Amino acid sequence: MKKLLGASALALVCIAASAKAETINILVEGGGEMLQKAAAEKFTAETGIKVDFTVVPYQGVFDKFSAEIASGSSAFDVVTIDVVWNAKFASHVEDLAPLFTDAVRKDLPPALLADAKIGDKLIGMPAWANAEIVFYRKDVFDKPEEQKAFQAKYGYPLAPPKTWQQWRDIATFFTRDTDGDGKTDFWGTDTIGSFSEEWMAHVLQAGSPGVILDKDGKVIIDNEAHRKALEFYIAPHCIDHSVPENVNETGWGEAQNLFYQGKTAMMKFWAHAYKMTPADSKVSGKVGVAPMLAGDAGIAAIPGPWYNVVPSTSQHKDAAKKFIAFAIANNALGIEAPLGLAATNSAYNGYASKPGYEHFTPLLETLGAPATQGRPMNEKYQEFVDEAVLPAVQQALTCKADVGKVLTDAKETIEDILD
Amino acid sequence: MRSARRFNLNGMVINAAALVLVLSYALPYVYLLMTSIKPAADVQQIPPSFFPVVISFENFRDVLQSSILPRAFASSLMVAVLTTILSLAVAVPAAYVATHYRRRITTLFLLFALVTRMVPSVSLGVPLFQLLKSLGLLDTVPGLVLAHTSAAVPLALLLMAAFFEGVPKDLEEAARMDGCTRFQAFLKVILPIMTGGIAVTALFTFITSWNEFLYALLLTSEATKTAPIVIAEYNSVYGLAWGAMTAAAVLYSLPVIIVTLALQKQIVGGLTFGAVKG
Repeated sequence: MKKLLGASALALVCIAASAKAETINILVEGGGEMLQKAAAEKFTAETGIKVDFTVVPYQGVFDKFSAEIASGSSAFDVVTIDVVWNAKFASHVEDLAPLFTDAVRKDLPPALLADAKIGDKLIGMPAWANAEIVFYRKDVFDKPEEQKAFQAKYGYPLAPPKTWQQWRDIATFFTRDTDGDGKTDFWGTDTIGSFSEEWMAHVLQAGSPGVILDKDGKVIIDNEAHRKALEFYIAPHCIDHSVPENVNETGWGEAQNLFYQGKTAMMKFWAHAYKMTPADSKVSGKVGVAPMLAGDAGIAAIPGPWYNVVPSTSQHKDAAKKFIAFAIANNALGIEAPLGLAATNSAYNGYASKPGYEHFTPLLETLGAPATQGRPMNEKYQEFVDEAVLPAVQQALTCKADVGKVLTDAKETIEDILD
Repeated sequence: MRSARRFNLNGMVINAAALVLVLSYALPYVYLLMTSIKPAADVQQIPPSFFPVVISFENFRDVLQSSILPRAFASSLMVAVLTTILSLAVAVPAAYVATHYRRRITTLFLLFALVTRMVPSVSLGVPLFQLLKSLGLLDTVPGLVLAHTSAAVPLALLLMAAFFEGVPKDLEEAARMDGCTRFQAFLKVILPIMTGGIAVTALFTFITSWNEFLYALLLTSEATKTAPIVIAEYNSVYGLAWGAMTAAAVLYSLPVIIVTLALQKQIVGGLTFGAVKG
């Protein structure tokens, strides 16, 4: 009897403990909370642990998390950070290695797994990931007269580009004056001069062992692959004239708008844009997608993943880790959100054959390509970009600079930053 | 005849210069306004168009219906009003004492206020974060009001000190001779003639708090998030919602414009206070 009473009391204590409301707070960028909301709701329903999101602007994630670290305490149990901050925050977050089971490892594109590892520590679990793929105008590519003319001019069929040369040929072919006023008003593509990630993807396609730095941290920005990639990157603007002129003022937003407004035939862009094509856009329902271009090393891209990390100062580390494990196991729940992104292969594969998700197959192929890899895991990465990489790309895009020289200069600047 | 022509020429040059000056201030705002009333698809037209081809209020509808902006507006308003009241309550008497009972310590006090304006707010963010956290005031209106007041008081103090400098000491002495205490003289004689200066100070304090971004970002989360934070969220790593952002910015600028227009008379009076004192 005594034993029974004791067991009942113990059971009651356990029930009371499990019923005790626990709340974890997640710091995330605006839009990112939508990708995790469904998983959070399911998590709360199954565990009783409430999940609160604090949504801030992009830079706010960095600033707020930095302030928390500096203060030595944290109001957040999970912070969803951009991969570019992984190195910066690595020493202030928990090692999540135990959450990376064999099943999780197999289900993640290798580049995402590699970006999670800083030193010997797996600092974060991917929450969602993105990569640039090729977008093209199906309506113009499918026109029989265009196909015939292209075949006649280049000697191979008009189809979504797979190689650098095809990209340049198709872009040149479609660049034209459509209203007969003597001015080009339809371009084959665009060139982005205010960001450098697209060029970095070409560096990997060209076969570089890494972008900017190699595995040992040596600066390799002036190697042959970087040079070849830069020559290819500037060619549509400097040689083919198949892009709008103001390249150094063109960023992601401008590139996207040129395409949506029906002024370019192709663009390389982050895959989520496929699902977000505005209904009133001139290209709505006419967009085709293909994997990112392939160079000598095959298809490659710079992934754009976000990671869930647990600050070392979190007050609810166990609950936070439980949520992260739950979120990756239920990663597909984020796909119904407006951005429609996930991190695991299984989540993307589950939707790839559904109408409206045609971009997932090229995205998976690009994310999983052997040459695809992340940006250098270095705390000073942003400094490299701001002070050396982007200025080098922009200088090259003036079409007057010696590509080899700008890369050598960039190397010296990066070495100075590292010193 | 020649002098009249020269006068007209001078007038024209002055008017043209004034027009250029006004346009340089007004054009960005007019462009913001024009962008906010364009349909989403036309907002980032390439090449850009200044005037909308079609006028649409969909951006305004979107930000008011489908975001937390209205709640953030209420939070901003509450914080700005309370910051203004608290800052004036501290700065007005302090500035009066510092200017009318001048000692070395009061001069140092004003100098110190000036120096605090030179400290970048980014360097104060973390200490403030720690302080408010230890007081349990993170993500609360009182917490943010205290943080904003700490930044606004030096500005209010310096502005009010400049206005009080223009008040003749004879006025207070006359009031004292008529039987007023110092406090009564301040309350009944000095303050009524300072309404313009107080209006100007109130407006600048309100705007300082209304537009503040960094403290609001660091010290608030969801409960008291202010509008500048929500507006900045329209610019995310996966896209920039220009239409929504400009509509929110237009709505956000309205209270300041309304308050400025409402206090126009006092502001002009305040800004010219002391200009013709003899």
